[in-house]
Amino acid sequence: MIIASLAFYLFSLMAMVGALNVIFQRNPVHSVLWLIFTFFNAAGLFVLLGAEFVAMILVVVYVGAVAVLFLFVVMMLDINITTMRRGFLTYLPVGALIGLVLLAELALVFGGWAVAPAADALRAAPTPNMADIPNTQALGQILYTKYAYLFEVSGIILLVAMIGAIVLTHRRRVSSRKQSIETQVARRPSDTLEVVKVQTGRGVSL
Amino acid sequence: MITGTLAIGLAHYLTVAAILFTLGIFGIFLNRKNLIVIMMSIELMLLAVNLNLVAFSAFLGDLVGQVFTMLVLTVAAAEAAIGLAIVVVFYRNRRSIEVEDINKLKG
Amino acid sequence: MMNAVPDFAPAFPEIMLVLAGMVFLLFGVLRERDSMQLLTGAVIAAMLIAGVLILRQPDTGAVTFGGLFLINGFTGFAKLLTLGGAMLTLVLINNWAQTAGTARFEIPILVLFATVGMLLMISANDLIALYVGLELQSLSLYVLAAVHRSDLRATEAGVKYFVLGALASGLLLYGMSLVYGFAGTTTFAGLATATASGGNIGVLIGIVFIIAGLSFKVSAVPFHMWTPDVYEGAPTPITAFFSVAPKIAGLALFLRVLYGPFGPMLHQWQQVIVAISVLSMAWGAIAAIAQRNIKRLMAYSSIGHVGYALIGLATGTLEGARGMLFYMLIYIVMNVGTFACIMAMRVNGKAVEDISALSGLARTRPMMAAGLAALMFSMAGIPPLAGIWGKFYIFMAAVNAGLIVLAVLGVLASAIGAFYYLRVVKIMYFDEVGPVIERPNAVTGTLIAVCSVAMLAFFIVPSPLVDSAAVAAKSLFPG
Repeated sequence: MIIASLAFYLFSLMAMVGALNVIFQRNPVHSVLWLIFTFFNAAGLFVLLGAEFVAMILVVVYVGAVAVLFLFVVMMLDINITTMRRGFLTYLPVGALIGLVLLAELALVFGGWAVAPAADALRAAPTPNMADIPNTQALGQILYTKYAYLFEVSGIILLVAMIGAIVLTHRRRVSSRKQSIETQVARRPSDTLEVVKVQTGRGVSL
Repeated sequence: MITGTLAIGLAHYLTVAAILFTLGIFGIFLNRKNLIVIMMSIELMLLAVNLNLVAFSAFLGDLVGQVFTMLVLTVAAAEAAIGLAIVVVFYRNRRSIEVEDINKLKG
Repeated sequence: MMNAVPDFAPAFPEIMLVLAGMVFLLFGVLRERDSMQLLTGAVIAAMLIAGVLILRQPDTGAVTFGGLFLINGFTGFAKLLTLGGAMLTLVLINNWAQTAGTARFEIPILVLFATVGMLLMISANDLIALYVGLELQSLSLYVLAAVHRSDLRATEAGVKYFVLGALASGLLLYGMSLVYGFAGTTTFAGLATATASGGNIGVLIGIVFIIAGLSFKVSAVPFHMWTPDVYEGAPTPITAFFSVAPKIAGLALFLRVLYGPFGPMLHQWQQVIVAISVLSMAWGAIAAIAQRNIKRLMAYSSIGHVGYALIGLATGTLEGARGMLFYMLIYIVMNVGTFACIMAMRVNGKAVEDISALSGLARTRPMMAAGLAALMFSMAGIPPLAGIWGKFYIFMAAVNAGLIVLAVLGVLASAIGAFYYLRVVKIMYFDEVGPVIERPNAVTGTLIAVCSVAMLAFFIVPSPLVDSAAVAAKSLFPG
């Protein structure tokens, strides 16, 4: 148990360090890399909580797709090292104060977090015993049955994201050469080949 | 299911999530250097939400929180794709994504 | 394990719309020429069919998909309003795209998916279902704001809308996670049970975060800062869409969430809503006075209108809910008409947005001036036009619920607000003739005429509409 506690402190500390760096790094590429670092540590926290599948998804989807998308855009837009916003330091103390107050309030609340008396009975999908049904299987059993509706709607959301990204950024390039399968298939030897009898010493005129 | 013998309680996880969430809001409002950093701050906020959900899910012994987390992850990925597309078209028009250059519309 | 196939019937309208959207998308992709005009017609037809399907649904209501999706009289009414707003603005959008040469077949399809998102939001019976519906709507709207992608102002509007919208979603989600942690469930019915035994400070913070997130979406003060910029930057008919459909869906969702799962905590959230409502009414009235751009004026105007509608929410009574639904019904017609006027503001083939361009309109285009004047009088709440009736029912509900101070503040704010609406009328009727505005085209002209006549003729038949709003509101209060 002591190891689990140590792991918690390690992961959460590193996640916070990573998050701080995401915000304060001057180079956006470094920010993205710190974001990836934060995600890895958060995945560690998820594993500690017994949510293995979500942890893996976080690594695969976030680090594998989203963070790479960020990196791709940062590189594509060719953003140089950014300057700090002017007047940033004058805002910092006030902002820090507000942030600290907010945090302190939240921490006070969480210190004595109370669950509704009825919460135990209200659970819609109590976690089965991990020894019988592993986390991934248990999630799959409810995601595709009880929560199939949500699954379908998130599919539509992804479709909209796809349409949106294409509508906004796709440009038909005049310079790009595309394969035209119809033209290739319809091509006949007679269209392109010409048999020429070459007389010795004369050559052919092209 | 996390047992009671563990020294780390729900409050610890919630506090970590609250710190990440505050940092995310911080990143949006204070350190407004460029849009990409703002979008990463939004990702941090969503990460904090996910941490909250998974922590509650574990301590309540209820899987719904994890289902919610998976949906938040999916939607956040879609949101990142659209956000980055908007940033790209803005960059094409403005040749910059510095927040100070988002000033055509007075507000 | 529950493996039975759920009952699809309650969600038929939405399923039909989604399938239609996918077929239209395929059609648009495979057809070489641009098919926006055709697809706009098809989308409107699909929405009409969806409307008919909703009308034919049983009044008793139903729940399906494992309790995630709910229909009743209220959701039906709100969905019909949303669909109506979406169809009217689609006509404007198509008209704009054809004249401005920005036709793209994806636009009506994105409007369709945004509308489906709104319908799902209205029908959500679970926090997770609410979230996915809301995001389906929001993501489509972000794209629509920036869809005129070569225009710097439109893309800037897209950026602002996206960043603040995503922030709002983050706040909303954080609140939802806290509520889930308190109640152990995300279903609305379960939450009502859990909060019935009294909430604690944690769940209250969660509710405040949820209210903040939803306020962003309906642009209520203090979460309104994106509104003027996005309204000004986005293409005019898209702005018209933003000002109508998402507002109705957002306010309907507000009603469902606060009256349903958090109904037992009325006294805790009531003060928050009262504060938001007063601030919105006041800021909408005061900040609008200095505006020169008519689209920014409309932004502050809709902030103000949301403030009035929130009075109905703050009462926590059936009468308040009825007033709010009725107010939104009038709001749609007023707003669509006014935006049709803004679209008709063209000088020498170019759109103008400055209010001063309207000067002397009464002499150059008397019909258009009369229509716009009727709409402005209605917005200002001058009897006997429609606007006053909406305000009347809302204020009466507030008085009957004991929120007399709120009602008085609302009357004061609408008196201040009347000033800038009447200023527009004054510019049209008493100022020197300015630039000559072109004749409105058939589409905008018809919409202006229909909407302004509806405002004028409204007092003849108010009671059937009020009654249907009352029937709809009743299903929010089971038992």
